[in-house]
Amino acid sequence: MSPKENKIARDTPVIEVKDLCKTYFMPGGMSQNVLKNVSFVIHRGEFVAIMGHSGSGKSTLMNILGCLDRPTSGLYMISGKRVSDKSDEELAHIRGREIGFVFQNFNLLMKRSIADNVSLPLIYQNVSEKERYRRAVDMLEKVGLKGYADRLPTQISGGMQQRVAIARALINHPALIFADEPTGNLDTKTSDEIMTLFTDLNKQGITIVLVTHEDDVADYAHRMIKIMDGRVEFDGLRCRYGKEA
Amino acid sequence: MFFQILREAWISITAYKLRTFLTTLGIMIGVCAVVMMVAAGQTVQNTISESFESMGGNLIIIVPGQSVSGGVRTARGRPTVTFDDVESLKSLKDVVTASYIVNTTAQAVFGPNNWNVNVMGTTPDYLTVANWEIDKGVAFNERDIKSGSPYVLLGETVVEELFGMQNPVGKTIRLKNRPFTVIGTLKAKGEGLMGNDQDNLIMMPATTLRQRLRGSPRPNYADVVFVKVTEEDKMEQVANRIEYQLRARHRIKDGTDSDFTIRLMTEMVDQARNVGMILSILLAAIASISLVVGSIGIMNMMLVSVTERTREIGTRKALGAPNKWIMFQFLAESVLISFMGSFVGMVLGVVFSQIAGTFFDKDVPISIYSVIISVSVAVVVGVASGLMPAIKAMKLDPIEALRFQ
Repeated sequence: MSPKENKIARDTPVIEVKDLCKTYFMPGGMSQNVLKNVSFVIHRGEFVAIMGHSGSGKSTLMNILGCLDRPTSGLYMISGKRVSDKSDEELAHIRGREIGFVFQNFNLLMKRSIADNVSLPLIYQNVSEKERYRRAVDMLEKVGLKGYADRLPTQISGGMQQRVAIARALINHPALIFADEPTGNLDTKTSDEIMTLFTDLNKQGITIVLVTHEDDVADYAHRMIKIMDGRVEFDGLRCRYGKEA
Repeated sequence: MFFQILREAWISITAYKLRTFLTTLGIMIGVCAVVMMVAAGQTVQNTISESFESMGGNLIIIVPGQSVSGGVRTARGRPTVTFDDVESLKSLKDVVTASYIVNTTAQAVFGPNNWNVNVMGTTPDYLTVANWEIDKGVAFNERDIKSGSPYVLLGETVVEELFGMQNPVGKTIRLKNRPFTVIGTLKAKGEGLMGNDQDNLIMMPATTLRQRLRGSPRPNYADVVFVKVTEEDKMEQVANRIEYQLRARHRIKDGTDSDFTIRLMTEMVDQARNVGMILSILLAAIASISLVVGSIGIMNMMLVSVTERTREIGTRKALGAPNKWIMFQFLAESVLISFMGSFVGMVLGVVFSQIAGTFFDKDVPISIYSVIISVSVAVVVGVASGLMPAIKAMKLDPIEALRFQ
């Protein structure tokens, strides 16, 4: 890549959302607008917290951003590629390569080794078994789980399980990581450890989008997008929230 | 990708060993039953063919007195064909020889031993026609027929029962209190078509039997007539000649039914083989009911598995698994289960049928059908029972699946 192309790539927003709407149509002709003209841009290397009360449309937004759902209208681009009108197979392809997911309840396969769990996304990219294991061991070392590759998830603590999930999210070198309430099932101390890990990863240049309703978790992020009644109520530096208006 | 899917499927089904084993068991039993039933059917078919061959090939059988008219059978076994009629058939073109038998049963006595036997009166040609061979001694000849000599040939069973280890040739046995001299013994033939012992037999000149054992008022009539033909292709023509000849000798008018029935051995062999084949298919069909049950078992297990692993499916989808991958993984799981089941079932089926063969003293063929059946069952049952659960897994909405508790 030439320096010019490199600069363009760096300057291309990781996520670009414009006038995103999501309407659920219910039987009997009723419909509900869950997202109303949501627009924002997330750049490479940002650490963003998406906040909102339950029912605010936060989860729906998260699903669309995670390419698990499609918007009813509006534009959604990941790394400059338009994804709002892609097919299921194409969305799966994008999820596997551009996005790393970290879930509240870890979602590990309990009967599979930690290395198998970490390298799971690579299966769908036809990476050889040996290579998958090698990369899983490397990634586990990065999240502080050296030597755990051959254990089962049931043999480690909840905090460690979430680290495994983070390693899994990182294994593809995705454009960004979506963390959906990543500390929701953890105690305060472990939560802090996980959030510190996210902060470290962000310092290494990894873009992180965090969905949470906890203020102290959101405090780790630099930027905050607050959703209320399907609209962006606040979008700015986390430290400025509550001090404006 | 193919091997990765297979590997994932293999790991998934081996994670629940007992459940997988129990599901496999259904198919195992089904295939085992089908393989055994096919083997049983084939054994029956082979036994039928062998029995017909042991009776001699290229045979035309004439049953006297039986007529079939519009499906109504009348007066079976009424004596109509005389010994002279049979003699006259020998001169027909393409006929090797002709013979006849008359049957009765009697209690054979030698010293302190006695034994119930089938007694067959016949001509020397019968030995050729029905593939009997002399073991010890000699056969009776045409002169013995004419004179009604009291000579007998003994089947192996009779030798064993009456004489044990002694050589019976030259000894005298008694049938219905009359003395008969043993001039020879017959080589063993084993079981007949209906499982009857063909070697429990005493053979003597037909005239001897008529005169000394039956005392029939019309002594010179045959019970069954056998005609041996030179070639299989000439069977039909010879049958027509026989019919013409016998109708002429019996002075039967045109348009009237014959007083005998002609049957070709080749037809009978074909019929018996067909019966054997139908038996095989029927047995296999009944056994395959258990395959259907086994297949339902797999489908049930896979459906439970899809529900149970909904979150896993959601996670896999979120991590980039294409829908097709998910479908093929679940399909591969059910095919693997049915493949294992049918392979083990096939091996067990072959082993059990061989054991049963040893037990019943029969050669049970290991047929290529066993392999064909088990492979096709593996694929058909695996796909049929796995398809619906696999499609269900494929269609799961990842959002719903991830939320599933």
